[in-house]
Amino acid sequence: MAVDQPLAADNSFEEHDDIDEAALAAVLRIVPLGAAMLAGSAVALAVLGYLAIYLFVFLPRGVVG
Amino acid sequence: MSEGLQQTHERRVLGTELLWAFGVGVLVTATLSLIVFTALTRGINPPSNVERVDPKTLHLSGEFAEQNLGTVVAADGIVTARIIATQFMFAPHCIALPQGQPVTLRFASPDVIHGILITGTNVNTMVVPGYVAQVHTEFARGGELLMPCHEYCGLGHSEMWANVQVLSAGEFKPDRDGRLTCAQR
Amino acid sequence: MRNADRLCLAHFWLAFVAFAGAAMLGAWQMWVRSPLGAHTGTPGQYYMSVTAHGVAMAYVLSTFFIMGFGYFVAVTALHRPLSGKGWAWTAFVVGVIGVAMTLVTIALGKASVLYTFYPPLTASPWFYIGLILVVAASWVWCVLMLVSMAAWKRENPGRPVPLAMFATVANAVLWLWTTVGMAAELVYQVLPAALGFVQTIDVGLSRTLFSWTLHAIVYFWLIPAYIAYYTMLPRAAGGRLYSDTMGRLTFVFFLIYSLPVGLHHLLMDPEHGNGFKLIQVLLTAFVTAPTVLTIFTIPASLEIAGRLRGGRGVFGWIAALPWDRPMVLAAGLSFVMLGFGGLGGLINMAYGMNAMIHNTSWVTAHFHLIYGGAAVIMYFAIAYEIWPRLTGRQHESLVPLRWQLWLWFVGMMTMTLPWHWLGLEGQWRRVANFNYDNPLIASWGPLVIVSLGGGLLLLASALLFVRNLAVLHRGVVPASARPLYALAVDPPQRLPAALNGFGLWNVLVLLSMLLAYGFPIAQFVVAPSPTAIVHRAE
Repeated sequence: MAVDQPLAADNSFEEHDDIDEAALAAVLRIVPLGAAMLAGSAVALAVLGYLAIYLFVFLPRGVVG
Repeated sequence: MSEGLQQTHERRVLGTELLWAFGVGVLVTATLSLIVFTALTRGINPPSNVERVDPKTLHLSGEFAEQNLGTVVAADGIVTARIIATQFMFAPHCIALPQGQPVTLRFASPDVIHGILITGTNVNTMVVPGYVAQVHTEFARGGELLMPCHEYCGLGHSEMWANVQVLSAGEFKPDRDGRLTCAQR
Repeated sequence: MRNADRLCLAHFWLAFVAFAGAAMLGAWQMWVRSPLGAHTGTPGQYYMSVTAHGVAMAYVLSTFFIMGFGYFVAVTALHRPLSGKGWAWTAFVVGVIGVAMTLVTIALGKASVLYTFYPPLTASPWFYIGLILVVAASWVWCVLMLVSMAAWKRENPGRPVPLAMFATVANAVLWLWTTVGMAAELVYQVLPAALGFVQTIDVGLSRTLFSWTLHAIVYFWLIPAYIAYYTMLPRAAGGRLYSDTMGRLTFVFFLIYSLPVGLHHLLMDPEHGNGFKLIQVLLTAFVTAPTVLTIFTIPASLEIAGRLRGGRGVFGWIAALPWDRPMVLAAGLSFVMLGFGGLGGLINMAYGMNAMIHNTSWVTAHFHLIYGGAAVIMYFAIAYEIWPRLTGRQHESLVPLRWQLWLWFVGMMTMTLPWHWLGLEGQWRRVANFNYDNPLIASWGPLVIVSLGGGLLLLASALLFVRNLAVLHRGVVPASARPLYALAVDPPQRLPAALNGFGLWNVLVLLSMLLAYGFPIAQFVVAPSPTAIVHRAE
């Protein structure tokens, strides 16, 4: 397949997909709850890890300036 | 999707994104503020004393001439260690420092970029030819620490390190001129 | 004219052959540093290897992959033939010459200065000339990306530029700005020293100019992974992109926030004071914004896919995703590595906390994890996804692809997690051999061996990757037309100029660079540092 002469068929992929609009609308009533929980947990863990390293590893090693 | 439903979705999507961005923004700002606040109030800074020195004449005279290297206790009690970092050694190779007292470490390079850290501490600085690198610190614990060169400086880089002896008050005895070299052990 | 697929393949194969070679060197380096290989090899060999490994991974793999991917996107996202194909091929040839020049000079032992080549340590001029040729080739690519987008906009007035191309051009604009620092350092300072025209060099200035490039370049490397997250992953997972607007903002934020932060690589340097270090640390906080948006928007897009596939509950959509598809698997693994690598990065940039880890193995761990891990695993995924289009053949089985991705992930985590710990212990960087007679260093031995194990897994993965692509050239199953790019939940109909072009953002970059780097650089022009003597590294 020639990359620089895309088929007309390629165009149609970018205009439509197979997703049923009603199903999408139903799903969108819940989204992004799961993503928010996942990302929020990750961020919370990162902040805790960050503070833990700051308080328990960095600060005990002494003041420098 | 109908026009109206699309607009509702658009607003909702944007709303959730902004809510998320706001929440994380608050968290990131709070965390960073803590870091910066403690930095400024406790004096925890990256070593940033900007002081120029000519690398081409370091050895000839002045502060970093050979006879001035190593640890010196001034008349007012201030402890300063002066160290040259060069391909591929530190002069002096062993540095004696007191435990529990403020010390000032001053480094200079006559040739290429070096860098140092002292294991188990936050002492860390680049040594850039053209500048004196200065670190203030206080060693809470005594012991034998390693001070390697941590920036690539040529083929001998792996062999370049010094020892740091952190001596308790009883062992820290400078001579008449206020100089101190490492205890033989 | 069918040359665009050959153009893309040429770039990709150069990138991936360099990658495989560099992987072999990396594994050897890890062997030599470990207790198992403790008295193997000389420092001369080691530093030659590290220089080649760094140049190949940081300059060759990245630049040529990104160029090839950019040409691919310019054709397939814009549905038009590539503008300036003759220029593109010429640039490629110039790039190949540059790569050859640099690698041969390294192999001759005349350029053991590492990929960061900090003066006054100076290599043969051919090393630098080779790099300059590679950069010049990439600049031609940047111009062609801009030209392609401009031509499409003329042909499609008022329509939003497809997100994949918008992001690619954002990366091209970023790269043009990014290379200014390194180019100035090379042309104005390092090359004259290497050629013997000057005997001394202002090291404060050279460190500062290089830092301009050193941070922004990692976003140049990272953005293709984000292009895959936003424009290919939702489709591969069977969903939609949650927000096209946030996608555009992400790439705009990368453009404007990646550059005025380079001084955070110089936090331990004595040529700058606290003032500008602190300013650039605060600016660095902003560059977390595009990633912060992404770790919400992309999971939201995947959540759509997962729930459409029947996933229920708060997290049930995760298991419901089609993890058997390489793009989806790679993205999941990438996000895990992005999390660990990003956390390490937040510690690196935290002003005083940088002293805890600067120039230790923690830093080595960080950039292997985030570039070698999170970004490069997406390079693999992109290659797997588009290779059928380029070769006209289908993967016969996805099993070796998934094996390769898992091997990469496990290898990378096994290699880098011990390095984080070792860095905190004080293990320092760029060491040809450790003295395991020293009790402190001996205590590091076991973790170094674990890390070596990770490195060997990575080597296996790298070779399997090349194999998985090579077999397609002789494959028998013809490729069927498959969709590539995702739709958004709300495809944009019209966009403000700010989200469809870069005029405004270029102004902001200029202003922010004047603010952040104006004084730090100008101070050396007005009052040069005491100069250091040039040291030839031969």
